[in-house]
Amino acid sequence: MPALLLAPLGVGAATAQAQAAQPRTVTGRVTSEQGDPMGSVSVIIKGTSQGTMTRVDGNYTVRVAVGQILVFRLIGNAPEERTVGANDVINVTLRRVATQLDAMVVTALGQTAQVRTLGTSQQSVEGAAISETQRQNFVNALQGRVAGVEVTSSSGVPGASSSITIRGVSSISSSNQPLMIVDGLPLDNKTLNTGVLASDAPGSATAFSNRGVDFTNRAADINPDDIESLTVLKGPEASALYGIDAANGAIVITTKRGRAGTGGFEYSSSIKMESTRNTPELQRTYGLTSNAGFSYFGAPYAAGTTFYDNIDGFFRTALTQRHNLAFSGAAPENRINYRVAMSADKQEGVVPNSDYSRINLTGASQSQVNRWLRADLSMQYALANNNQAYKGDNGPLIGLLLWPQTDNAKDWLTPSGNRRRLTTAAASGEADNPYFNVGKNRINSKNSRLVTNLGLIATPFSWVNVKSNIGMDSYTNENSILRHPESVYGNTYNGVLDEANDITRNLTAQTLVNFERYDITSDLSINGLVGNQVSDFKSTTAALKGQDFLDPNFVSINNTNLRTNRTTLLQRRLVSLFSSATLNYKDYLYLTGTLRNDWTSTIPQERNSFMYPSISGSFVFTDAFPSLKQYLTGRLRGGYAEVGKDARPYAFRPSLEYKTTSYGGYGYGFTGPNLGLKPEFARSYELGTELGFFKDRLGVDVTWYRKQTKDQIVNDIRGSYATGFILFNLNGAVTRNEGWEVTMRGTPVETRMIAWDVQANFERARGKVLALPNALPESYVSDTWLFGNVRNGTAPGLSTRSLTGLFYLRNNKGDILIDPTTGLPLRSTIFIDGGYDRQPDYTIGLTNTFRHRRWTLNFLVDIRKGGDVLNATEQFLTARGLSKRTLDREKPRVIAGVLRDGKENSATPTQNTIVVIPAVQTQFYTSISEELFIEKDINWLRMRDITLRYQLPRGFLRTRDASVFVTGTDLFLITNYSGLDPIVNGNTAAVGGSGASGIDYGNFPMPRGFTFGFKVGF
Amino acid sequence: MTRTLMNRTRLHRTRIGALAALLVLSSGCKDFLDVNENPNAPQVVSANLYLSPMLHWMTTSPQLDGRFVGRYTQQWSLSSGVTVLSTWDRMGYDPSSDNGAQQWRDVYWTLGQNLIDMMNKAEAEQRWDLLGVGHVLKAWGWQVTTDLHGEIIIKEAIDQSKFSFNYDSQEFAYQEIQRLLTKAIELLQKNDGAVDAAYLGRTDKIYNGNRDKWLKLAYGMLAMNLNHYSNKAAYKPAEVIAAVNKSLASNADDPLLTYPGTQNDDINFWGRTRGNIQTNTTGYRQTQFVVNLMNGTYTGGVVDPRMSRMLAPAPDGVYRGLDINVVGFGALAAAQQPMNFHGYVGTGGLQQKGRYIFDDKAKLAVMTYAQLQFIKAEAAYRMGDKATALAAYREGVSSHIDWVNARNNDNGQTPTQITPAEKAAYLAAPSIIPTSAAGLTLTQIMTQKYIALWGWGHNELWMDMRRYNYTDIDPASGQQVYPGFTPPTNLYPDNGGKIAQRIRPRYNSEYVWNRAGLEAIGGLALDYHTKPLWITQP
Repeated sequence: MPALLLAPLGVGAATAQAQAAQPRTVTGRVTSEQGDPMGSVSVIIKGTSQGTMTRVDGNYTVRVAVGQILVFRLIGNAPEERTVGANDVINVTLRRVATQLDAMVVTALGQTAQVRTLGTSQQSVEGAAISETQRQNFVNALQGRVAGVEVTSSSGVPGASSSITIRGVSSISSSNQPLMIVDGLPLDNKTLNTGVLASDAPGSATAFSNRGVDFTNRAADINPDDIESLTVLKGPEASALYGIDAANGAIVITTKRGRAGTGGFEYSSSIKMESTRNTPELQRTYGLTSNAGFSYFGAPYAAGTTFYDNIDGFFRTALTQRHNLAFSGAAPENRINYRVAMSADKQEGVVPNSDYSRINLTGASQSQVNRWLRADLSMQYALANNNQAYKGDNGPLIGLLLWPQTDNAKDWLTPSGNRRRLTTAAASGEADNPYFNVGKNRINSKNSRLVTNLGLIATPFSWVNVKSNIGMDSYTNENSILRHPESVYGNTYNGVLDEANDITRNLTAQTLVNFERYDITSDLSINGLVGNQVSDFKSTTAALKGQDFLDPNFVSINNTNLRTNRTTLLQRRLVSLFSSATLNYKDYLYLTGTLRNDWTSTIPQERNSFMYPSISGSFVFTDAFPSLKQYLTGRLRGGYAEVGKDARPYAFRPSLEYKTTSYGGYGYGFTGPNLGLKPEFARSYELGTELGFFKDRLGVDVTWYRKQTKDQIVNDIRGSYATGFILFNLNGAVTRNEGWEVTMRGTPVETRMIAWDVQANFERARGKVLALPNALPESYVSDTWLFGNVRNGTAPGLSTRSLTGLFYLRNNKGDILIDPTTGLPLRSTIFIDGGYDRQPDYTIGLTNTFRHRRWTLNFLVDIRKGGDVLNATEQFLTARGLSKRTLDREKPRVIAGVLRDGKENSATPTQNTIVVIPAVQTQFYTSISEELFIEKDINWLRMRDITLRYQLPRGFLRTRDASVFVTGTDLFLITNYSGLDPIVNGNTAAVGGSGASGIDYGNFPMPRGFTFGFKVGF
Repeated sequence: MTRTLMNRTRLHRTRIGALAALLVLSSGCKDFLDVNENPNAPQVVSANLYLSPMLHWMTTSPQLDGRFVGRYTQQWSLSSGVTVLSTWDRMGYDPSSDNGAQQWRDVYWTLGQNLIDMMNKAEAEQRWDLLGVGHVLKAWGWQVTTDLHGEIIIKEAIDQSKFSFNYDSQEFAYQEIQRLLTKAIELLQKNDGAVDAAYLGRTDKIYNGNRDKWLKLAYGMLAMNLNHYSNKAAYKPAEVIAAVNKSLASNADDPLLTYPGTQNDDINFWGRTRGNIQTNTTGYRQTQFVVNLMNGTYTGGVVDPRMSRMLAPAPDGVYRGLDINVVGFGALAAAQQPMNFHGYVGTGGLQQKGRYIFDDKAKLAVMTYAQLQFIKAEAAYRMGDKATALAAYREGVSSHIDWVNARNNDNGQTPTQITPAEKAAYLAAPSIIPTSAAGLTLTQIMTQKYIALWGWGHNELWMDMRRYNYTDIDPASGQQVYPGFTPPTNLYPDNGGKIAQRIRPRYNSEYVWNRAGLEAIGGLALDYHTKPLWITQP
């Protein structure tokens, strides 16, 4: 195996030739159109990997021969080329462009290209824009910044997982998250699935099923400050070159490298204060029902009853501090550059005892080994420590709401140090005091991660370069999840402690052979690449569960009486060969074709090799017809791509499980065999145009796409137990995604004094299920069945983000059926469609940047129209008599509907006339349908982040660069949603399919934050 | 010119290098990708290693369903966490829930393909004893599922290529069970091939590989099966008695499962550590009905010595039960509320010794000697052989008293042993054991059998009650066969005023994924659970 991984490096070390020339030193300065110096502009000798970068003052120095061409490139700007002649000084002005038609962008496989050559849509975000949002998890900064990208944070607790989907949900059971690429190699973005815990062993009564607990998505280990730029490859382009793992798109991150010039350091520091935005209101009229858990259908409170505002005092103002220190520099001509950065981040949550801290150490160095070989080594170490609170059922928010307002919740322990109880209900029947819950229960996760990446770039000839990378992404993730012996969660078992150590090590080696432009004729040229990639992903989770604590407060597995252990090994290997070629006709017509073959270990060997092509084109019509240029600049593009996708490891052949029942033994797991498993395939098309008006001051980018998957593998789909099994992994689902993406960029005002940039990203995405395997009636991900009887079920004809549930029964005229004995509505006994869809109609992300002298104001507003949200928290509060909507409980009413008396479907159904008084017939509320709490068409307008920055005068305190800033995150939210926050996920980012996004149950909302900070560079 | 040539040569070398690397890749590829054999567990194991989990569930899963069956049969009722009468206490069911269908899961999944693999291997290796045990398990599976659910899937069962299954009639199920037991009886008598008590005993922790005892169990199951025909013209009590006589000969032959209690799953389902019967939503308490069977209400004041060893007292020391028509504890004051089955108030008792079978390490039975004696008594009684009936009846009561003592000894539980004097006094009471065979009544046989099965023998107990339509009158005594049993006054709405006769097939198996199959047997009807079984019909 090691030999195999190293093989591509052998290619990289291929021989090269020497080049004879007479080098001399050229210097110069790169400035913007406004005359400002531009740093970090790459200055490359065309056809080589040699070159340098401009310093902060815009100056550069490079050794180059006469006749060679210097290429000046900076992401977001049009590239410039200068042929070296007699002059030793070459000054260049780079032009920022709104359409980005001529801009340089990072594309797949770490290549850079001009936008005009690309046949598919992609969008980039600068690293500075990401780190400026002051979010610990950079993923959360992407919402609204890229059209088609949707980020859902599981909750507002520090370290909460965030899931990303690009262009909607297409897989109904597997992950819909994109591939993350850092400096050319994949980055693991796993969120720990509770399925590996010993508590979640099949059939266990203590399973979390990814509810109630959450773990960080591992991409959050990246220090946002290390990101130079981030490019989102949305569709075909991504899959064509990154293969099966990029079937849902790819996020390509380039990290910072040392800059030319003498060494310098940068330090930034900030303090964030966060507070919770809003809390629910509860009724204060009716008291507790006697002798039950906390139910409020009892007698009205006596006059003069003392109330405590338990909710108000619970949340704290959370402080976060963050320090970044980076040293960087480069030898002359950038022969060696380096960057060493340290970052420390300590975040408190607004929920007591929740926090997230992270330390990052990053080192990166590039060196020109000789004329034809360049080496690039980077290492990132991240140490994260996260304490979260439970959420959902038995979480502190539910306890906080349920806790009697007539009792001071802050008094949560008895004098002897035990859980203070208020009722005589069973210990598991009385919700935990929220202070007890956050004080005694615990979800701790520690992660230690090292990502290394060694790259070699050889340029044996001017027309070819070979780039080989070998990288390791490995981490040890230690988790400890405590359900205290006295808590609701733990008391039945006298405490449950889960320990799980996940050791993940992913190795990837990749080699690219790039062929530079070759002129076939004077009008037609071709360039291309071939490459291969070999990956080995492996994770081993050793998990242990202990229950029945001896000392209730000593947290150790050694303190438990009953222990269960479980080891989960997952390994997947992938080998790929790929190629790409682009034909360029007169620099205005481009045609790119790709061909890729993947071999995967997770599909039966006879079908595990699959090849798929893509083709895309770009036509810069304003260059073809220059007369149009007086009106606009623009191009059309289109692409078609296929991509295959494999299964989870061990999906097709069932293995036996060691059973922990009496005297052990073996037996099959839930999942049955499917030896005929084959890869699924997606076909996608996209068409788009980019137009620039008013000298590119206004740019419009419109994309339409459609993606259809066939033979989609549905994991864990059920069938009759008569098969001998409970679940199957089957091919056979068909889904179709379709959508529009529009990005508008404009610079309404641009003078030397003042500038205003605006960018709007619009997305409308639709995902629909066209078929399920074996014509099964419904498919759902069981973890999403977390509240009442609603889950993310879908069926042919429904959205990929629909909800199914036990909804009201209706007669053939659509009237609700009423139980003749109770006068209450009847509900279906199987999960049915109720016309609910969590997919928004559209979303808009609006970024505005104002610059005035030294001031910069930048803000992002996130707008969403439509999409349904289940306000489960409100249903829960209603069923417990706490919601204000239960205040009219003494009012008699008749529920509109017809009696189910056998005549309900006849011409003359019996109208319901049964009077119900909820105060008497409490089932009116206690069994109230969840359907009434699915809030349709939820809209929002949200101030995601706003930053005001003041650039201090140059040389202030002898700094090279200094600024102070204030940033607000999630400052306000205007919505028609009645709950706390419509951005929710009842599960975690680990759950596949559409997950439980849009199911709001006991979830802490995103807090509101203010950050003050400064940044200095010396 | 020279330089171009040189370039070409170098290019050549580069190409060769790349090609060589690709070749290495393609040749190594097949082995490199061969990592999809799950390293967490094997795909095939020795035949006997499949056995333990199946035996565990054969004893344990009836208890899971027993939580619900026990409410139809009024062994217990819910006491806490409820504001309304629960569905099962009203002879209803939980819509869209798998409650009451654990044995369905066991038969099709826990046994399912595992049992087929085990039997195929056992047959290939001529392990007739293990194969015989396999037949017993197979028969047991169809017996419990058909008794709970009526029509079940047999002919088409365990087929991963099908996604819709047809149901078979209960009549077929009963014949199939008899065929399997006959085959088991034949196999368990064979001593050739690779019959090996040590091999079987390695995982057979019920009989430790003793095939003679398995043979007795097979006869016991046959007796039980045949006795269920009591309402039919085809009922042959003599065959029932013959089978009983070849079955378990004493309590020592009882198929008992020990629960080692090393981790959660190998603890007795009723044990306090498992938390299955005293949490908030499952605060089970005994009913007044069962208390009355033991406190002398129907036995002229003769108090059953087993009452204080099986049931739970209230804190005031008095044995009371819940009224199934009243929510929770009703009007009972705290000191009068029966404690949980472990013998503690509320959810107490963790890490404490329990009572009777409600203890972490109490053994549970598949079937007992006492149960078979009551079967024999009933068959003989119906045959008119009252002397045999009385002898078997007396043996049943006596052996169950011993069984209660044995169970309370499994883990040194809190109740004291029933002394020989207590036992003798009880057996001497004419209201318990009639002085003459002619005085024996069906009421006595069936109520004593109810007591002997109470708490664990749910499948058989409910079958008995359904055979007697819950409230049939014993013509000899003029009393109900189950004296004092009254169906709930507030029946579940879907029942249409009828009482429960079967449990609907497992929801997540059938009601969602096999509706066509259900429709053919009328299983989609709202009141399907009140449709009487074929076996209880004349």
